[in-house]
Formats: sequence, C-alpha cells, structure tokens
Amino acid sequence: MDPAAAVYPEQRAANPYLPEVAADPIPFYRRLRAECPIANLEGFAEGTHIISRYEDVKFALRHPEIFSSDLVAVDIGQDRPLIPLQIDPPEHAKYRRLMDPFLGPSAIAYLDEETRKLANELIDAFAARGSCDFHAEFSVPYPCTVFLQLTGLPLEELGTFLRWKDNIIRPDVDPGDLDAAQQLRRETGQAMYAYFGGVIDDRLANPGEDLISRFVHGEVEGRTLSREEILDICYLFILGGLDTVTATLDCSIAYLAQHHDRRRQIVERPELVGAAVEELLRLHTPVMQVLRVVATEYEMNGVKMKPGDHVMLMLGAADTDTEEFGVDAEDFALDRTVNRHFAFGGGPHRCLGSHLARLELRVALEELHRRLPDYALTDGAELHYSPGIREIAHLPLVFEPVAV
Amino acid sequence: MSAMRVTLDAEACVGHGRCYALAPDIFSANDQGHCVIKTDDGLIPVGSEDRAHQAVANCPEGALRLEE
Ligand code: HEM
Ligand code: SF4
Repeated sequence: MDPAAAVYPEQRAANPYLPEVAADPIPFYRRLRAECPIANLEGFAEGTHIISRYEDVKFALRHPEIFSSDLVAVDIGQDRPLIPLQIDPPEHAKYRRLMDPFLGPSAIAYLDEETRKLANELIDAFAARGSCDFHAEFSVPYPCTVFLQLTGLPLEELGTFLRWKDNIIRPDVDPGDLDAAQQLRRETGQAMYAYFGGVIDDRLANPGEDLISRFVHGEVEGRTLSREEILDICYLFILGGLDTVTATLDCSIAYLAQHHDRRRQIVERPELVGAAVEELLRLHTPVMQVLRVVATEYEMNGVKMKPGDHVMLMLGAADTDTEEFGVDAEDFALDRTVNRHFAFGGGPHRCLGSHLARLELRVALEELHRRLPDYALTDGAELHYSPGIREIAHLPLVFEPVAV
Repeated sequence: MSAMRVTLDAEACVGHGRCYALAPDIFSANDQGHCVIKTDDGLIPVGSEDRAHQAVANCPEGALRLEE
C-alpha cells in the first residue's frame, strides 16, 4: 500500500497507525501537510485532530494552556497521570526541577566511557560472524543495559520489563480488538505498580546512587515525593527509557544499511557523527507523534477545536516540513546548518532523557562505524516497523567478518 | 570581543542543549541542562561569530537572540 493513501482529504481524515505508514511515513506526512493539515483520526468523526505542519506543531508544543498534557483520558493502564508527562505547567516544573539534574549533560558525561565499552562488547559478540540481527543484538541490549544500570534495576529482569513496555506500547492482540488491548494494559499496569512498590521499599531501606533512590529521597518544594508520585515516575520511565533509543537505532541503522554513500560519509568523517545523529533523529523521528487534549476553544487553519478534543502532534511530519527545513527536507543532509527538529518534542515536556539518548546514539554510531564500516541489509530482508514508536522487529545485517 | 552580543530568554529555554553543543565556547549548561551564557555580558569573542549565529539559529525554542 502507498503510505500516502492513508490520508483521505475528502473526509479530512488520516490513519497514522498503519504498519505501511510506520515503514515509510514521509509520503504520508507530505500529503498530510499539503492536503489535510488538520485531520481527524480515521474512524473518529470528530474531536481528534492530527496536526502536521511545523509551525502548528511548534505552537501547540509551546502552548500547554491550550494544548494540555492532562491525558488521564488516554488509558495506557495507568491509575493516575504519569509524571512528568501528563502534568501541565506550572505543576510540571517542580518535578522537572528535581529530575532534570539527574539526567543533565554534566550528570551523565561519565557514561561516555562505559557506553563505549558496552557497545564494543556487543559488537564483539557478532563481528566475527559476518551477520547479526541488529535489533536483538544491539538496539535492544545497548540502551536497556545503560538504563538498568542507571536505575539500579536487575539486568536479569530485562525480559519482564521489555514485555511490560511492549504490552503497553504495542499490545500483542488482534488488531482492532481495543478491549483486549486495554485489558492487557490494565493488567500490566497493575503488575508494574506492584513491582515498583517493592523497589521503593528497598530503596527506602537501602538508598544508593541510582535514579530510583534519588526519586525516593529527593524533594520537591521542601517535601519528599509520595509513594504514588514515585510510582507514577517509574511507570513512565519504563516506557520512555526502554523503547525509544532502540527504535532510533533501528531506524538509523536500517537507513544507513541501505544508503551506502551516506554511511561512507560517517565512516570517513567521524567528526560528523554529532550532525548525523541530529539528522537521523529528524528524518526518522522515531516517536512519530505526541498527544494533547484541548483545554480551551481554539481555531487552527480554519478548524475549530473544542475543550476535551484529542490532538495528535505529528512530530515526524513537522520534522520533514519544507517550510522549515527547505527543499531538501526529505533528504539526509549532513551539511544542514539549521536543524530545529522536534524528535524529542519541544516546549516544557522536551524529553527528559534527550541528553542521555544523544550520548548513547553518538557513541553507538562512532563505535559501530569504526568497527564495521561496511554493512548491508541481508538480501530479501523484510523490515516490519511498529506504528507510533518505530521499532523494527528484526534487522538482519551482513558485513565482512572481522576477527575479534 | 566583537561588537556582537547574545541574549537568552530563560523563560523560553527548555534545555534542548543545541546551543552549548554547537558553541561550547559561548554557552554551557546549568544542572537542569538549561542554557547559561558564559561570556561577560553575552559578548561574542572575535572569531566565534559564525558559531554564535549557528547556535542561535538552531535553538528550537527561539530562546536566543543576537544583537550586532
Ligand atoms: C532517542 C530517544 C528518545 C526519543 C526520540 C524520545 C522522545 C520523547 C518525546 C517526543 C517526548 C515528549 C513527549 C510529549 O511532549 O508529550 C519525550 C518525553 C520524555 N522522555 Fe524521551 N525520548 C527518548 C529517550 C528517552 C530516554 C532514554 C528517557 C529516560 C531515561 C526518556 C524519558 C522521557 C521522559 C521522562 C519524558 C517526559 C518529559 C516531560 O513530560 O516533561 N526519553 N521523549
Ligand atoms: S538550544 Fe535553546 S532551548 Fe536549548 S538549551 Fe539552548 S537556549 Fe535553551
């Protein structure tokens, strides 16, 4: 299916959730911006607005008093709003004041060396084989190991954590069976609350240097966080920390495995890796969209939005908008001088993990291209991207074997 | 110092960190990852003008301004 066919300008509707769209979203985004800049979600007559132009997305990200994140209405199995994702300013700032320094650039700088070592160990495991499933052997274990070390959670439980976040982000039920999906999310949510309740007890008794200890013992406005607040942070962390870097690595390496000239630029000029990370984030925008709810009546591009309406900010569409990025917006351009992408969102909810994610991505691209400068997609490989957050189920690569 | 100055709208800065990644001689991060202008009065050192322009242009929040 042509991904652009998932935009229906006559009905002013679109469906970004199709796997074909996740696999190749750029034609979908292009048509959305041009023909249907504010679209309803297909199957919902009204009250769901998909916003796709850069300027409109930017406005919505920066105006939480109109486009609120108070999304308890969006049921992902949680009992209460996730912190800080579903809290609006001014409340929101007090949590970020506490949490930002734990993941700020200076706090995580020491990880450069450890992540480099980890990246090399993972590459060692497949370098001599001449082939790998990059998703299973690198994209998943690399960020997840870093994340579990940071949070002090046991590596042996990684399988459970991955199952939890998948149950919530991409529940494995019959497509369209919304009830079964919600049921699975609820059950998973309850399991997560129970598990993290135990972790909190442990950190109260045995405080360490890990992130959860810091949440448990940290203060906002002169008081410690309640047990519920800490649970609401942990819930979000499992979702935000275990999925997104994986998806970014999948999308980036799949692209570079199929664009040899682009990969060669990075191999030949490693100092361009920083720019490459930004450009890969922009072009692939692995978190395709973020959600908001309309707080006060607002009109955008002639469409009236009412309080309570759901809004989907199509970050990927904004990030490939020619109005902002110029005629080469859909290309990978390492010489782009201005790159104000929203792959990490924008406004007050700008991704809390963005400094960590950038470090992990930079180190991974540096080490991978230093060790394995030539790789390609295995012949006949079919890539399955998941909608929403664009992970690739299997990413089979071949390359010249190297002795370890 | 050149005749160029940079100013920060601290209300608008949310800590994307593009500025201090692109021009570390002019900007740094506070503990929250928000922008801090390192130079006295925001004056841009001679020779850093291009980097200053680039950093300001890349702030996704429009929080930085240059005055010539
Ligand atoms: C390349 C990897 C990543 C991408 C593309 C990404 C993307 C995003 C986006 C788009 C948002 C904004 C959500 C919104 O506005 O509603 C966000 C928020 C958030 N992200 Fe990330 N993220 C990444 C990595 C991480 C990591 C590694 C962590 C944790 C260690 C993390 C934790 C969070 C948290 C806690 C928030 C909520 C911030 C708030 O609401 O104030 N993210 N992320
Ligand atoms: S790029 Fe802009 S938003 Fe980001 S830290 Fe610098 S001034 Fe703040």
